Order: sequence, then structure tokens, then C-alpha cells
Amino acid sequence: MKLELGNIFIKDIQFGTESKIENGVLTVSEEAVKAIVLEDEKIKSVNLDIAKPGESVRITPVKDVIEPRVKVEGRGGIFPGVIAKVDTVGSGKTYALKGMAVVTAGKIVGFQEGIIDMTGPGADYTPFSKLNNLVVVCEPVEGVKQHDYEKAVRIAGFKVAVYLGELARELTPDETKVYETYGIMEGKEKFPELPRVAYVQMLQSQGLLHDTYVYGVDAKKTLSTIMCPTEIMDGAIVSGNCVSACDKNPTYVHENNPVVHDLFEEHGKTINFVCQIITNENVYLADKMRSSDWTAKMCRMLDLDAVIVSQEGFGNPDTDLIMNCKKIEAEGVKTVIITDEYAGRDGKSQSLADADVAADAVVTGGNANQVIVLPKMDKVIGTLDYVNTIAGGNEHSLREDGTIEVEIQAITGATNETGFGYLSAR
Amino acid sequence: MGGFMIITNNTLVKEKFGTDYHVEYEELSFEDTLKKVRDMIYDGYKLLTHPLSGSVKPKETPYKSVLMSEKPEGLDMQSMKLIESAIQACGKFQDRTGQYDSDVYEDFRLIDCTLIGSAIPSAECW
Repeated sequence: MKLELGNIFIKDIQFGTESKIENGVLTVSEEAVKAIVLEDEKIKSVNLDIAKPGESVRITPVKDVIEPRVKVEGRGGIFPGVIAKVDTVGSGKTYALKGMAVVTAGKIVGFQEGIIDMTGPGADYTPFSKLNNLVVVCEPVEGVKQHDYEKAVRIAGFKVAVYLGELARELTPDETKVYETYGIMEGKEKFPELPRVAYVQMLQSQGLLHDTYVYGVDAKKTLSTIMCPTEIMDGAIVSGNCVSACDKNPTYVHENNPVVHDLFEEHGKTINFVCQIITNENVYLADKMRSSDWTAKMCRMLDLDAVIVSQEGFGNPDTDLIMNCKKIEAEGVKTVIITDEYAGRDGKSQSLADADVAADAVVTGGNANQVIVLPKMDKVIGTLDYVNTIAGGNEHSLREDGTIEVEIQAITGATNETGFGYLSAR
Repeated sequence: MGGFMIITNNTLVKEKFGTDYHVEYEELSFEDTLKKVRDMIYDGYKLLTHPLSGSVKPKETPYKSVLMSEKPEGLDMQSMKLIESAIQACGKFQDRTGQYDSDVYEDFRLIDCTLIGSAIPSAECW
């Protein structure tokens, strides 16, 4: 499967009477975007705002971050099974609006997390501080259930992203990158000497605010399966997550998964990037056994030499991670696992809730319990009402001077377990 | 495979599932609920769901529900390992369970309820 990804760099966003992209500037018609969001009767009102890198702005509580894209050639459309009809995506030509995102925000539950600071020390911990963000803050109608509201905001974000992506359909990309994987036999013949490597992506799948959708299907109801890695670039996997902001994958991370992109960088040079394997993180222990058995079996059937396994979340998924690692290694396939740590504020506690000697190659996204003081920002998009109740905060978090003391687990993307961030120990 | 029961300190779980399923409700803290589960595991009951289900952290939410085998099935090593790790993990988080407004507790109850509810279709397959 071959996908040409055309990148269109957005240098700035502004509001105007007509939505358009000209010379790298995205003009957004507030009226048009609001009309799209308000198509859902569960959303009472919507406010739009723009947050740019370096501005003294805090966005919270963040639900999702989405990169607008448009399918220009080939089968299907962006977010298949969710916005576009179900059809296999990942081939043909897609354009992406780089340097910007649609950020959905607003309270769904009272302990909701997710802070994006556009400047200051907090901005270093979230890659989304480097983007021009169109922030969509939704208010639900009275009495709407959290499940329905979560879905309404989730879908609203995708619809706005698709609307903005469509503005690029007739443009010429600033750069084009080509991603191609091959059939099993074809790849073996093409790269006979190269080690066969796959990416095992574990998807959050535990319940409300802990869900992920694959072609529109709730991942907790799926068996482990294989995908062509280019499918994610057309939005085949989307997020329904917003608890544990630091280590959940927003839709933006699925679209731009750095493990996939880095494996493609080495594809045909040092490795044969065979495929992506997706598996879930259900709470029922027999589901974990079945999914990890299935994943390990596929690794063997695909005659892989090595896999990279990425986790999503904390606690419950630690067990899936170790099950996957042990079982895949037992099939003679080398593993590198990517996780993050909850090692206590002093960093001295056991990092994961599970462990095994087979997990001897581990990459960490950082210690989510690490404490940070975020300075007061001139402007807040969303509300600070919940800062004291978010994970990693407490009743003293929001201080009188407007600064916030929290653990970095409250910051969107701070310890992302696909490595999607700018901080490292190097 | 035998039946299952729900161990919980969440009134919503008792309300929602109590008539259709075997629910053991007791007003306990998050950590004490896990310790109750641990004691049952040492009595031979088997853990059917992960004790750290959900990304709402121990002691940040006061509520915890766990699926267990309805009858003792013999000492299960995996259950023992998981529950001991989960209890140990509680020590890493600051206790904030008394600090919220009442509507936040409702949300915590709901999330715990949906997490355990997500396991019931799987449990019923057996």
C-alpha cells in the first residue's frame, strides 16, 4: 500500500468572513464552524478561540487534539467509519495541514484533565504548544448524559477538522512524502537481508473516556489485527480518551504516530517495516490473555524478527504490556517496549504495576508524578474550575497568585508513550 | 468456568447491577476495597478484572469495583501478583478523595461503573 502525504504548512490562523487557506494563512469563518458543531442537538453552545505558540494562553480541560486532513486521491475519506463511509484508507494521496490543530475543550466530567500552556515551562511538556490551535469549547444542553456529550464533542472535533481539511483540496502541498509497505512475500523478496520489524500498538479500551475507535469500531470489542501503517495517516484510528492526559493518545498522535514515521524512515534501509499490529487494553483479564495470545501468534505467523510495542495509559495496561512482551519474546521475536512511569513524586517508587525479565529493552516517556509549577497565564481558554480536581492536582493546586502546582500527568501529551514529544534525556 | 460477582464500594454499581448480578457492596476506601479483594484471593477467589482498571488514579477516585469468581477456585498466582502490585501502587498517589464537590463524586461513580460495566459482556461469554 502506498500513500503520498502532502504537507501544507499553516503559519497562522485568523478569523474572517470566509474560510480559506492563502499563503499559509488559515482564515476561519466562525459562523461556518459553529454551524457544524451545533448540528448536534446535544451541544447547546460553542465558542471558538485561537491560541498561538508563545502566547500567554492556557487551554484546559482539553479533550482531543486533531490535525485537519483531506483525502485527495484513492479509496475512502478521512476518519473512515466515523465521518467518511467505511472503506479501506491508506493509499492514494492525502493532504495534511501541518503546524496547526483543532483542539476540543470543555468539561465532560468534573475531574477532567488536560492542560496545554502555549508558553512557559508547561509548554515544553506538551508538543501541542508548538501549534496554531483552533480551540472549540462546547457546552452541553441541560441534562445530557456524559456518554452522549463525550460522543458529541468527539464527533464535533472530527467534523471541524474535516471541514478545514477540505479547504486544502485544490492546493499544492509545500512538501510531499511517500510511504509504502509491501505484501508479505513481496517485502521478503524486495529486502531479503533486512530484519522484519512490526509495530504493536496497544489501544486504550476500558470504558467511558477511556476508549479508542478503529474504523468506527470500539477497540474493546475487537481482536488483535494487522493494519497497513499508512491507514492511520487517514484517520483510521481515533481517540475517545481524555482521562490521564499525559499518556493518552489524542487523535493527532494517531494521525502522526512517531513510531510509524520513524520505522518508515528506516524502511528499506536497515529494516523491513512489515506492518502495524493493533491490540486492546480491556479490563477483563481473560480478554487480556486472548488479545496478547493473538498478538504473539501473529508476530510468529508474520515471521517477524522484532517489534516495537507502545502502551497507552497507566496501571491496567501495564499488564497488557508485559503480557505482550513476554509472549512475543517467547515466540523468538525481540521486543522493545515504550511506556511511561508513575514512580512517585520523588521518583523512587516502582514505575510500573507489572514487570518481567523479558522486558529488557524499555523506553520511557518520563515520570508522570513529576511536579511542575505552571505560571499564571494572561488568558484561559476553557476553565480553571477543575484544576484542583484533575489528576496530579490537589486543593492547593490553583494558588492565589494564579500559578498552578501539578504533576505533569495533568499536561496533555507530557509523557506520551509513542514518544510524541520534544523532551528527552539526551 | 463458574459465575462472577462484583466487589464494590460504589453505590451506583450496586444500584445498576445489583438486581441482575451478585454485587457485594461495602462502604470502604479505595485501598481497603483492594485489601478486601486481596483477602478473598488468599481465600481462593480468582480475580477476573484488573484492579487498576481506568486511568483515574488510586486515591484520586474513591471508587473501585472488581469482578471476582463467584466461588473459590484455588489459589491463583496471577491474581495474587496483580492485587499486591495494585495495593503497592496506591502508595504513589496522594489521597484526595475527600476534596471534591458532590457532582464530581457522581462523575467518579459513573466512570467506575462504566469501567466495570465494560467487563460484564466478556464475563457473560463464559
